[in-house]
Amino acid sequence: MRQFVRRNSGELLLVGLIVLAAVWSSSLSPYFLDPVNLLSSATSFVIFALMAFGLYPVVVQGEIDISLPSTLAVGSVLLGKASVAGVPLALALPLVLAVCAGLGALNGYLVAAVGLPSLAVTLGTLGAYRGVAYIIAGDAGVVGITPEYTALGSTWIGIVPVSIVLVLAVAAGFALLMSATSFGRYSFAIGNNAAASRMGAVPVVRTRVVAYSLAGAMSGLAGLVWVAQYQSARGDNADGAILFVLTAVVLGGVSIKGGSGRVAGVLLSLILLATLQTGMQLANVPGTSQTLVIGCLLVVSLGVPRAIALFRGRRRTLAPVRTDPPHGPDDPTPAVLEKQRG
Amino acid sequence: MSASMTRATETTRRLRQASGATALRLRFLGVVLFLVLLGVVFTALSPRFLTIDNGRSILFSAAILAIAAAGQTLVVLTGNLDLSVGSIMGLSAYVIYDLAGDVPALGPWVVLLAVLVGAFLGLVNGLLVAVLGIPSIVATLGTLAIYRGFVSVYAEAREVTVGQLPSWIRSLATAVWGSVPAAVWLSVLVVILVGVVLQFTPWGRRVYAYGSNPEAARYFGLDSRTIVTGAYVGAGVIAALAGLLLGAQVGNINSLLANGIELQVLAAVVVGGVSIWGGSGSVFGAAIGAIVLATINNGLVLLSINEYYRLLFQGLAIVLAVGVDAIVQNRVRTATRRRRILEVGA
Repeated sequence: MRQFVRRNSGELLLVGLIVLAAVWSSSLSPYFLDPVNLLSSATSFVIFALMAFGLYPVVVQGEIDISLPSTLAVGSVLLGKASVAGVPLALALPLVLAVCAGLGALNGYLVAAVGLPSLAVTLGTLGAYRGVAYIIAGDAGVVGITPEYTALGSTWIGIVPVSIVLVLAVAAGFALLMSATSFGRYSFAIGNNAAASRMGAVPVVRTRVVAYSLAGAMSGLAGLVWVAQYQSARGDNADGAILFVLTAVVLGGVSIKGGSGRVAGVLLSLILLATLQTGMQLANVPGTSQTLVIGCLLVVSLGVPRAIALFRGRRRTLAPVRTDPPHGPDDPTPAVLEKQRG
Repeated sequence: MSASMTRATETTRRLRQASGATALRLRFLGVVLFLVLLGVVFTALSPRFLTIDNGRSILFSAAILAIAAAGQTLVVLTGNLDLSVGSIMGLSAYVIYDLAGDVPALGPWVVLLAVLVGAFLGLVNGLLVAVLGIPSIVATLGTLAIYRGFVSVYAEAREVTVGQLPSWIRSLATAVWGSVPAAVWLSVLVVILVGVVLQFTPWGRRVYAYGSNPEAARYFGLDSRTIVTGAYVGAGVIAALAGLLLGAQVGNINSLLANGIELQVLAAVVVGGVSIWGGSGSVFGAAIGAIVLATINNGLVLLSINEYYRLLFQGLAIVLAVGVDAIVQNRVRTATRRRRILEVGA
């Protein structure tokens, strides 16, 4: 029992917080705990959840991708255009997912093979992909999307919306991927020590490109959910969503420096954020003020553990704190290593 | 080190000439060349591009960007980022002008107030990054949301109207000194000031030392916390002042002022040759980067190309510039290593 608690302390803390948030929300409205209401309000977080699961392996590998909402926008406007043009979903979806995976792969290639810092690359593609989405969608965006494409947003299995089932399936898939496949093992190894992994014959470049492609594909899937839920697609879809997505991943206990983190934590933190946000909506907190709370959560979830560690460390030794640069001086980029080898 | 320097043979001297310093100088010249190239292309495509009026309008739109980029340069030189720059600009402009409308007696003290607000917001960023060790991207993404969220809570969907602004700052924003807008002179002043601080003060040299090799700087006894926190405070102050100027230009200020400007500011800094790895580049490069972006925007408008392409070009410019920096950095590194080997041999 004690061991179980120690091993899952992060997840248990999240469960406790979820209970607190749920109690608070249900004190605001008696309808909050109604299962139908609960499930239908959960559907508005499906889009974020899919991107968060996509981002999770990337963060485990010690990298970051802030361009995912822009990839979603490209995916959603492509699906919208395909729908209006009368292309069957069975044909359009694989193509759009492939395009989004390709956008992710481009990020991954620039980061892993060329050796550019992931933050700068995805900051650039955040703008570039958003521009592409605007160019495809035009000023008016895409409207008049056919029912075939929006079915995902309006189909229920019993009282459970299909999109919730989709999220749970994706979560299970990622749990399996990260714990039972070589990709998952490699991801943790790279996140812990990329240089050592490289020497240990881990295909670092390939694993990273795969993670980024997967994140892109998940954003494309989130684009489908977007089209299904909002029956429209515009260039500015999901603009600024990265804050919520990144908060979900980090709050879920995935170390931003890589090497650790579990799907269960990400799922729980998504539930916590969803409960909080639904509560704030019930309390009539305006949307922009909700970002204040999410931002605080992001900073606090990262800052408090470090502050505690700092305080404990201070008492023992007076060692100065190090802030690690994106690339340490002794951590040459892959391009440099290639040159040395060649 | 100095002993081995005197022993430098003809070969090593030649190697040094064709090495890191040259690569860095070429990087700066590359930006200038790119600007000239842009000018030539736009001149060929549009007869209205190469006019004095248009040049003035490019400089005017580059001015605020150049000021914000000067602040961002401080942070990027330490190997970190400040994504909250737009939120700091918006917060300080809204809150301070709102206050100035209620308390007209404040007069020119609004500038001091902006310095204080900016310093505080920058300090929060700096503490999160330098003391708590949160990666700068995540920390400033959080404060981006927090600062912006604070403005919208504070504003309650209201607007600060032109009438509330002190009249002197309003006329300053539109003034023209010697046929050049006052904002351009102010940005030149800020850029030179930051350049002088970086070049000639001990703290400025420490920023470069820490940015180019944090580990070595630590062994040398430099305190990373004062360097990084100082950079964030400086960036906060400059962002707040840029916000005041932008607010004065815009006139009616809502809670979304300067929302999303961080992408442009970072693009200016990175295009201007300030290495995203930290430790190399100059604030003058960043200012030229701002002019490059303003020129691209201007040219796209003149050629009546859809505004959406601007985002695409900005994004691509960041990726391209970082790619070039990676090449430059590798050159510097291999050159340094080769020189070290040769010097040991001699």
